[in-house]
Amino acid sequence: MLKNMQEKIGYLRETQLGSFIPVLLALIAIWVYFGIVEPVFLSPRNFYFLFMQSAVVGTLAVGVTLVLLMGDIDLSIATVAGVCAAIVAVLSTNMGVSAPIACLVGLGAGALLGGIMGTVIAYFRVPSFVVTLAGLLGFQGLMMKILGIHGAINVRDPFIRGLTTTTLPDSIGLILAAIGIIIFGLTIWKSRRARNAKNLDNELLYLSIIKFVFFSTLVLTATLILNAYRGVPVTIIILLSITGFLGWLTTSTSYGRAIFAVGGNLESARRVGISIEYMRISAFALVGFMAAVGGIIGASRYASVSFNAFAGGPLLLEAIGAAVIGGTSLFGGRGSVWNAILGALVIGSLGNGLDLAGAQAADKLMFSGAILLIAVTLDALTRGGTSRK
Amino acid sequence: MKKNNINLMKNPSSEQTNPIHFSAQGIVKKFGGIDALNDVSFELRRGEVMGLVGDNGAGKSTLMKAISGAQLCDSGAFFIDGKEVKIDSPHDASSKGIQIVYQDLALCENLDVTANLFLGNEIRYLDNLKIIPRALRPLNHLSMEEQTKEALRKLKVKTITSMRTKIGFLSGGQRQSIAIARAIKSDSTIVLLDEPTAALGVSQTKEVLELVKSLRETNHAVVLISHNLNNIFEVCDRITIMRQGENIGVFDTINTAPDQIVSYITRGK
Ligand SMILES: Nc1ncnc2c1ncn2[C@@H]1O[C@H](COP(=O)(O)OP(=O)(O)OP(=O)(O)O)[C@@H](O)[C@H]1O
Ligand SMILES: [Mg+2]
Repeated sequence: MLKNMQEKIGYLRETQLGSFIPVLLALIAIWVYFGIVEPVFLSPRNFYFLFMQSAVVGTLAVGVTLVLLMGDIDLSIATVAGVCAAIVAVLSTNMGVSAPIACLVGLGAGALLGGIMGTVIAYFRVPSFVVTLAGLLGFQGLMMKILGIHGAINVRDPFIRGLTTTTLPDSIGLILAAIGIIIFGLTIWKSRRARNAKNLDNELLYLSIIKFVFFSTLVLTATLILNAYRGVPVTIIILLSITGFLGWLTTSTSYGRAIFAVGGNLESARRVGISIEYMRISAFALVGFMAAVGGIIGASRYASVSFNAFAGGPLLLEAIGAAVIGGTSLFGGRGSVWNAILGALVIGSLGNGLDLAGAQAADKLMFSGAILLIAVTLDALTRGGTSRK
Repeated sequence: MKKNNINLMKNPSSEQTNPIHFSAQGIVKKFGGIDALNDVSFELRRGEVMGLVGDNGAGKSTLMKAISGAQLCDSGAFFIDGKEVKIDSPHDASSKGIQIVYQDLALCENLDVTANLFLGNEIRYLDNLKIIPRALRPLNHLSMEEQTKEALRKLKVKTITSMRTKIGFLSGGQRQSIAIARAIKSDSTIVLLDEPTAALGVSQTKEVLELVKSLRETNHAVVLISHNLNNIFEVCDRITIMRQGENIGVFDTINTAPDQIVSYITRGK
């Protein structure tokens, strides 16, 4: 009886909705708490800034999830973001290259740096921890070199600035939200029908309904809140689109299967003919690309690129923390890119709320540490749960 | 070499059954000073379960690894339906229809039943659109799940109800079933099982043995390695005995008593 219950809970955690629940509860708890302590926390304006503040961390967290799923880690993401942001800034501000091209070069540089580290990890069998730590140090130096003696470059280009200052008109935001909800509903409905037709087991109808209602409410409320201030930021749309693509890539392609297989059982992946080298190189290149996206968003938001904003600050730990808080396992094989966004919101909300409450930097660090510790412990506990069978 | 002639004479029933599908001749494998396999010959028919017994270190696993291409032998030749074939890698072996289920199974606990069955060999949409890289074509989840269900039904595995259960939640016997199902899903004709019941309890052992029997009905040539002679006698048609890296005899199960086998395993006669 008890064992049965445990199995059911374990099983639930493995489902998409189930893996969302712990981090979502944490997020709601944080919001309720700060909502009571600092009512302004729940204002549309603050929510808008909360989303924007979490965007850079979220982008990096989504990226690093890819290699965490394979049981690897990338400690260089924040620095790679910094290098790419610096490249974009130098190209557009100092050298007068048109901004979109500068951004493309930056994105390419991110993928290249990631790919190089991936190659070393794949072919020389050096643990990713060490290679990316070396990357962290080396790229810090590279970033300083690119930024030059002043250590910071302003970014005034309207295109780059526009990435984080533009918001969608209210109506467009609502239409996009509606389209998203309809697609989500149709997907669930079509899948249920197809499974019924093929006589495959379906999840309980009420679970599907809960899932749909839950998703729609979330999307609609978020849109309405953002509309109440300045509208849905373009940044959020970019981030959600990329995450949507990576979510599809990891769950609905052979590539994604291979990522999970490498993280779950390397030997098994090798025996079925998956090229571990190819997987490592491409995944690290993707992470590098995502770091570059994060770097460009950061440059746009701060209107400048400085060493401290990327390489020197807490960005790296916040990003990895966000992924783990979202429920992605540090041991590899379990997690989702979508959860990384929730994790980023948890970290963002905590920082934002503590700021509003007038907390010191020291308190903020200790709080973040505690939350991360809880998340990692949960991770270790659930891992023991499944492998003990 | 002489021994092989004796073996064939011991098999008067061979005329009535299927012809020999696979044979290995004169396999030699040395590890440093140890003769793990010393001029071993071995043969299999389709629709037959061949037991492979022998004491620890007799060379059973080494022989299976040679046949499945996991470990190259020093000399020897392999024949399928009378034609000589090269087996230099696991890929060679599987392309010739030879599949091995290792004792450690090598399943991904974090993936579900369907994903494990199709790992590295997924069914995809748009598979004729060559411009899209293979790894990026969308998976056909439903087809794979349907085929998984069908594969387990054929193997008479009844205890796994949802194909979306993660392997981590399955019992040892159920995992063994999945590993075997994966081995025979591709167009394999030869299935090598290295101690599939070693870690299992009574009821799960029974489950796996039933599964082995059903492989005979699907006309596979099956090798079953086990230290449990009861299990061997329950499912095998013939038994090959190995001792100190040599094949010392092949026996029809119905004409042989377990005591005889024990005597051959321990004393070589
Ligand atoms: N990789 C290896 N390196 C060195 N010696 C090996 C290696 N693999 C096997 N051997 C040796 O070859 C001999 C045969 O081993 P093998 O594993 O084939 O025996 P087995 O019949 O499968 O025994 P068991 O019933 O214990 O599994 C043993 O003496 C073993 O020590
Ligand atoms: Mg063995």
